[in-house]
Amino acid sequence: MTGFIVKRFAQAIFVVIAVSLIVAVAIRMTGDPALMIAQGATNITQADLDRIREGLGLNQPFLVQYLDSLRGLVTWDLGNSFVGGTPVNLLVDKALPATLSLAFASMFVSIAVSIPLGIRAAVARGRGSDQLIRIFSLLGLSFPNFWLATMLVLLFSITLKWLPPSGMSGFASFIMPAVTMGVILTATNVRLVRTTMLDTLNSQYIMVARAKGLSERKVLYKHALRNCAIPLITYFGLQFGGLLGGIVVIERVFNWPGMGTLAFDAVAARDYPVLQSVIMILALLIVGINLLVDIAYGIVDPRIRTK
Amino acid sequence: MSSTMSFKTVTVSALGLLLVSGALASPVFADGTLTVSSPQDPGSWDPVDTFLVNWASVGTNLFDGLTYRGPDMKLVPALATSWNVLDDGMRIRFKLREGVTFHDGEPFNAEAVKFTFDRLLGEEGAKGPQQSNYTAIENVEIIDDNTVDFHLKAPDPVLLTKLAGYGAMIVPPQYIKEHGETYFNTHPVGTGPFQFVSYEPKVDIKLKAYDGFWGDGPKLSELDYRFISEPSTAVAELQSGGVDIVIPPTIPIAMIPTIEDDDNLDLITTSGPTVYALRFNTADGITADERVRKALIMAVDRKSIVDGILGGQAQVIASFQGERSFGFDPEMQPLPYDPDKAKQLLEEAGVKPGAQVQIDIRGNDATFAEVTQAVAAYLSMVGITASIHPVETNTLLNDIIPQGKTGAMFQQSWGGWTFDFDNTAYAMYHSGQKWNPYDSDPKMDELLESQRSLTDPKERERILQQIAHYAADRALELPLYSLNAIYGVNKRVKHFVPAPDNRMRLNDVEVE
Repeated sequence: MTGFIVKRFAQAIFVVIAVSLIVAVAIRMTGDPALMIAQGATNITQADLDRIREGLGLNQPFLVQYLDSLRGLVTWDLGNSFVGGTPVNLLVDKALPATLSLAFASMFVSIAVSIPLGIRAAVARGRGSDQLIRIFSLLGLSFPNFWLATMLVLLFSITLKWLPPSGMSGFASFIMPAVTMGVILTATNVRLVRTTMLDTLNSQYIMVARAKGLSERKVLYKHALRNCAIPLITYFGLQFGGLLGGIVVIERVFNWPGMGTLAFDAVAARDYPVLQSVIMILALLIVGINLLVDIAYGIVDPRIRTK
Repeated sequence: MSSTMSFKTVTVSALGLLLVSGALASPVFADGTLTVSSPQDPGSWDPVDTFLVNWASVGTNLFDGLTYRGPDMKLVPALATSWNVLDDGMRIRFKLREGVTFHDGEPFNAEAVKFTFDRLLGEEGAKGPQQSNYTAIENVEIIDDNTVDFHLKAPDPVLLTKLAGYGAMIVPPQYIKEHGETYFNTHPVGTGPFQFVSYEPKVDIKLKAYDGFWGDGPKLSELDYRFISEPSTAVAELQSGGVDIVIPPTIPIAMIPTIEDDDNLDLITTSGPTVYALRFNTADGITADERVRKALIMAVDRKSIVDGILGGQAQVIASFQGERSFGFDPEMQPLPYDPDKAKQLLEEAGVKPGAQVQIDIRGNDATFAEVTQAVAAYLSMVGITASIHPVETNTLLNDIIPQGKTGAMFQQSWGGWTFDFDNTAYAMYHSGQKWNPYDSDPKMDELLESQRSLTDPKERERILQQIAHYAADRALELPLYSLNAIYGVNKRVKHFVPAPDNRMRLNDVEVE
């Protein structure tokens, strides 16, 4: 077992290092931040540019810059943004909770909707409500989320004036972004719950439970749902990682002060320290979640360990 | 095309209405909060750190310069009450305003002026982009507590204007020495009508009225700026009442009807500094021939583009500058729209129908993409096949143009807040400049250099106009239009005057 954990851990570290290298190299290929900073200055000379580069630490060899960024990540001293020199820690300290809380809220919406609907669809397999739920799920999958977001804003902010159209300012501001993300997730999750539930409902122990004369409600929620929980929780866990990446667009539409907004602005400004930090933190989170899932599986199911 | 030149100074449909309603003195409160949507957080509020116009939208309320230039474009005294240009423009003596204090209570005096410029021209300024704009200044000498002399390395005719904004904003010496440079970035202190309250990066900056302000104090008690980069989100906030003003550059042309149709909102526009042109590769290909360049200009009906695509929020230009630019010649006419003449010129130049040109444009500018499609359609009518090649803005500006790897035509949009044609012309036309990869013309270089140290404004203006004419004679670009600065404003806001250059000072503004 220890060997398995060590191996998985080593793989995770390899992935993180590979990501960090790709990011560091790729962003340096997109352009020179000093030119961006000096864009408005028409009289700028090569000496001025060199001075600005030196101030940003870009006169160092790539390897030094790269190792510095890794060291920063380990010591949690992420350096300063190229735009205005704000410490990246300060930016991330605000942005990471904003993104995580939105991601949790979206997951909550999705789970709260998809579990009852998925069960309903499984029980009513092939009948009217199953068809209806599947059609809605297909619709949900087909909506581009920015379109859905715009429609919600149009209805709830501009016409009804119930909800703030953007920003993070208390409970009300979570509703539209969380619902937007939640609807998209729900579309896939409903199908997953339905399939998992169908498998379980065909098991012999469900037949036994029914034969014992238990109420249908008790059969579904106490016996069937519990047995579905393991694959579902695993899937939701992995989905959470993917959600962190997909939240960028929604953050922009709702002007959410999260990691996506940071990344978006950083790309446009060639802000290496901010972009590298944001991507590395998200990568660490995603790799970390996957690692936990892997290890948990290994503990539960010995067959996975030996593969 | 002649009708296009008779535009008014302020092309405002709603402004007249706004002024009238203000004059009727509907009940207004002496206090209130105004919320502004700004598309970008500059990250630092230190004047020496940035060139971003959205720094200035905030900074103009926090800081003062020795001079001030408001929306009427007139240069007036600010922290200096008077000045004299001496020694053939090599020295400027400023008399300073007395009794002015910074927001932290420390006095404004000659020491503060010297500190500001020592800092700008020294190590701290060297880390940012503003220093290069003020290199004409040799040093600042304190004559007495309320008098300073600026010693210059060479006369700089635009210096007095440049002292009204950005890097020349006067900063508090004691405060910066005490708290340090990093702290000052996020806790700015100046002498302006509003003082700093709080700043949350990427979210907002909040200001409040400074009751010790030396001039007419603000009518607002609080002034909040929220950073909203997505235009549709900013407009949604404006429509729902979350923000009162959306400042440029945010509102795209396509969203203008949304604002105009809303009973609670006004669209307020004014002629801005940014002009748009498609520049030519004058070195290779068919556009190396001046006749071809002229033909391509004459093939495009620029007036129809302005009316049809830009909703009239632009003016057709004859040279690479708008009407407010120093060096603008109101007599100068753009080449007329004349497809027949264009065909004839192309034939003379031996360009066969079906000839190809590539037009490189900035990929994030939806409005300009539409404009370019119209241009391509016009070109096809004279037998030129244009392909449009969108590129990421900064890649185009910093890699493709400087390396001379553009197509036959490429987008250039430019305009400095100083509204001085030298700023654009030198960068676009002088040999070896990074945005002039193709052309090298000794006569042009000489003209450009000759006006740089002239202290006689009349003579300088004459030469700048001559440069504009010469560039047009050589058809170095297809001049398109000067775009308005577009503000979306809630009707509860009174006495708002649109700043052409985003340097808006809001002490006269009130909210209902």
